[in-house]
Amino acid sequence: MITARFKELVTTISYKKGIPNMRITYTPHPITDRPRDLCDKYVQGPDPNTGQPMLDEIYAGLTKPLSEEDRKAGFLKRDPRPRLLPPDTPEKLLEYFHEQNFTDGNPIILPTEQKVAEMLRATSRKPDEWVGQMRPSPPHEAWYYTVEMVAVNAVMAGAKPEYFPTILAIASKGLTSMFSSTSSFARMVVVNGPVVKEIGMNTGIGALGPNNRANSSIGRCWTLISKNLGGSGKPGETYLGSQGNQLNYNNLCFPETEEGLPAGWNPLHVQKGFKKSDSVVSLFSGWSFNDIAWYSPLPIHEVIRGWLEHFFSFGTTQATLVLDPIVAADVAAKGYPTKEAFTKYLADNTGTPGWLYWSQNANALKQAQSGVEPYASWYKQGQGAVVPVSRYKRGGGGVARNTAFMASKDSGEPSNSIEIVVTGGGTNTFWSGGDFGYAGSGSVDQWR
Amino acid sequence: MKIRVVCLFILLIAIFAAAFAWAADQEKIVVMNPRGIQPEIRKIPMATRPATLDGKTVYIVDTKYPNTKPFVEALLAALQAKYPKTTWIVRDKVGGYMDDDPNLWKETKEKAAAAIVLLGH
Repeated sequence: MITARFKELVTTISYKKGIPNMRITYTPHPITDRPRDLCDKYVQGPDPNTGQPMLDEIYAGLTKPLSEEDRKAGFLKRDPRPRLLPPDTPEKLLEYFHEQNFTDGNPIILPTEQKVAEMLRATSRKPDEWVGQMRPSPPHEAWYYTVEMVAVNAVMAGAKPEYFPTILAIASKGLTSMFSSTSSFARMVVVNGPVVKEIGMNTGIGALGPNNRANSSIGRCWTLISKNLGGSGKPGETYLGSQGNQLNYNNLCFPETEEGLPAGWNPLHVQKGFKKSDSVVSLFSGWSFNDIAWYSPLPIHEVIRGWLEHFFSFGTTQATLVLDPIVAADVAAKGYPTKEAFTKYLADNTGTPGWLYWSQNANALKQAQSGVEPYASWYKQGQGAVVPVSRYKRGGGGVARNTAFMASKDSGEPSNSIEIVVTGGGTNTFWSGGDFGYAGSGSVDQWR
Repeated sequence: MKIRVVCLFILLIAIFAAAFAWAADQEKIVVMNPRGIQPEIRKIPMATRPATLDGKTVYIVDTKYPNTKPFVEALLAALQAKYPKTTWIVRDKVGGYMDDDPNLWKETKEKAAAAIVLLGH
């Protein structure tokens, strides 16, 4: 049984799982947060898709005899995958790419064999070499792709050939940029190492904005790869984001400014176990991003702490701060000689707003209501008070982490879930932050 | 007469030029397929249905999407009332709604004739 809103999803997944005639009964949508008396009406009423009485339909689904087709094993038909598309005029091909959902809705560069061959010259890897596999989310099937297929999408995104190893590094991680969830996921990709200067990425003014071809096209390419090579991004089938997420256009692709780091602050890729001389992409997964342009009489590290304490979105137990170099320098000057020292301070000194804590900790709430300390005293202070439990600490203390099924991690667990990256042009003491968690890093150099 | 010939010649050149431009615009090209490789789909034969559920046990497997328990309880009550000769049992799947639960599937095969899997969102 599934709610009626997901008919397209469940029928296509059933087909791809090998049960094209799965017997399904639909309920009205949504079911979540509906009171019992309404649910009673629902079950006594019809399946909204078929019009049949729900209970009768359930019973029939469990007892009606199978057809001959239902009993058979074998293979289900899939459309063949030609390497080249049928010839047509450029105008018609562009329209065809849009109609087939090959694009992000913006114009693309048509991937002729000549353009793809130029892109392939930027890597020593063979065109038919496997790069990886990718799926929209765990229940969905994974698609597979080669170096040549990634090159096709890189051309479409408007990338220069010198960007291709960086794009291959992203593709090799097999993480879709358009995770299929009703919560509208977003991704971030940070580039570190010598490749940043080699390909002319922007770490200065407007680093996070549409101001640089490398920053823009590399991030965009991740979306095209996800849609075309990872089977993601088809609304209703492999993409369910209720409102969608603007960040999916470019996936917050930017480089870290390693020259702008305070002394003692390691670049992100070094924190994750790479050498400074390595070129690396690091992927993050989250939902929301804030641009904090704010002046305060409080020291900047206190402002950041306060924001972390009260920041709320879907991802409530992880955060990534993107600091302008001026802000990073100011924080370091306040006595935080490393990024780790600052994230430890933040994790140790942030509580959780009461309303959020009690809504996420059912056991603690039961204990509070039963008079067990310290929960009872915390609870007495009201929903607006801050509970002295950090949501960013790992391994003891802290609220339960969000499930990590949407992201994978390469490195060992640090003591908290706060990451820091530094980028920007230093025109003001502003910074950004979001509910992004680290999802793994990949070497660019191995794809040169 | 000469002027007429010249005009005709210019007209012919213009016609040819326009035709050539039109033809260039309509030139077809070949591009590469941006799609990845989809896996084969192995068809799974469906399980034979019992003719009746009288005297049988059916598991109602709850994948526990947040705040959907009232519906599960309503469904259980309605099925018990309408089909009292069948034993309807609700079983919670382990973990979150994307976690697998092989132990539950094994138990379902051993102890139940059929299962209904619910639900979200």
